[in-house]
Amino acid sequence: MSGRVIVITSGKGGVGKTTTNANIGTALARAGKKVVMIDTDLGLRNLDLLLGLENRIVYTIVDVVEERCKLKQALVKDKKNPNLCLLAAAQTRDKSAVTEEQLKDICETLKKDFDFILVDCPAGIEQGFQNAVAGASEAIVVTTPEMSAVRDADRIIGLLEAKEEIKSYKLLLNRVRPNLVKTNDMMSVDDVVEILSADLIGIIPEDTGIITSTNKGEPIVNDDKSLAGKAYRNVARRIIGEDVPFLNLEEDTSVMGKVKKFFSGLMGKEK
Amino acid sequence: MNEIFTNLYNKVIGFFRQTEKEETSAKDVACNRLRVVLMQDRTNLTPELMERMRKELVELLSKYVEMDKEALELNLEQDGDQVALMLSIPVIRAKDEEEIQKALQESEEEKEKSEEEDSSEEETSEKDASEETNANDDSEKEENPQEKETQEEENTSEDKK
Repeated sequence: MSGRVIVITSGKGGVGKTTTNANIGTALARAGKKVVMIDTDLGLRNLDLLLGLENRIVYTIVDVVEERCKLKQALVKDKKNPNLCLLAAAQTRDKSAVTEEQLKDICETLKKDFDFILVDCPAGIEQGFQNAVAGASEAIVVTTPEMSAVRDADRIIGLLEAKEEIKSYKLLLNRVRPNLVKTNDMMSVDDVVEILSADLIGIIPEDTGIITSTNKGEPIVNDDKSLAGKAYRNVARRIIGEDVPFLNLEEDTSVMGKVKKFFSGLMGKEK
Repeated sequence: MNEIFTNLYNKVIGFFRQTEKEETSAKDVACNRLRVVLMQDRTNLTPELMERMRKELVELLSKYVEMDKEALELNLEQDGDQVALMLSIPVIRAKDEEEIQKALQESEEEKEKSEEEDSSEEETSEKDASEETNANDDSEKEENPQEKETQEEENTSEDKK
């Protein structure tokens, strides 16, 4: 088996890298793929929290690198899905505890046993970013329709393009608020895609369910009713290679919206 | 009658369109600001450098054409994946051959002058030599404004024709 190593990065902090990582990883595992997630945010680890695995971590990536344990011992299995594993970051060390070469080696070893290796990248463009990208051949750039996030994403794209190992990168637009887009108060998906001129892999609507799911340590893809969950499941299907159309977020789901749609449908038929 | 109504209709529509245009949405402001800032990020050209480039281009181009120097616009624009440097020059009048030759000569003289100045700076020990070149410079400088004036006179006379 030769797995795909995908780094999830953004430049700016707080746009939803870790949330994206947890959800795409869980969705891929639900689709029957063997998935391992690596948290490279040394000193500021959070992926374990989003997955509800914080109490199960015995060894971290630093323990693996410093040979206090074997790589397999450090992989924490998910509560629900045996296909899903986490290699946690150390909370007590800084970014220099792991080097680019060491991360590359870990990725190479994990490739043999897993279909997907998702690398959660820290914010910023310093050594932490360089480390996270080192072992990857694909990248997902997470951004939101805000100026600072788009600007940082542009910077990250520039850095990724300069890296030979990165064969392709895709854009994931997070926290889109259709109501604000409709009133021209927020940049639309098309605006961001045009400005960054990058291929899109997903559009995730803003969803208050993310907050509760984080609080529970339960990724939102496990909630079949959530729109954001569905959007993340679609991203996972696109990663696998399925051709899935993007969700139409502009659709009015209110009662009045449905009435309007009904009537416009009738009018359309009369013509 | 029909004409009156269509006129009225156009006026009303025109009025609404105008008001729409005046209020640029927050989204459009964000897009435009981002485009400008990303151009700068991608090219490492700061506003100061852009202004310098603009000035140098004005200097260069005014040898060949007479233009509205204030209205010259220099912008970086994105066209798909490519970044393009867009230069818009409102040309007032094309210069004739004589004027162009004259302007080219002037610039060459200036170049020589600056070279001489450089060499004079180097030869600080030989005071006599540097003084001589300085004297030459001064005489040339005095000549130049006269040339410019005659040039301007020519322009105005041609405009009158």
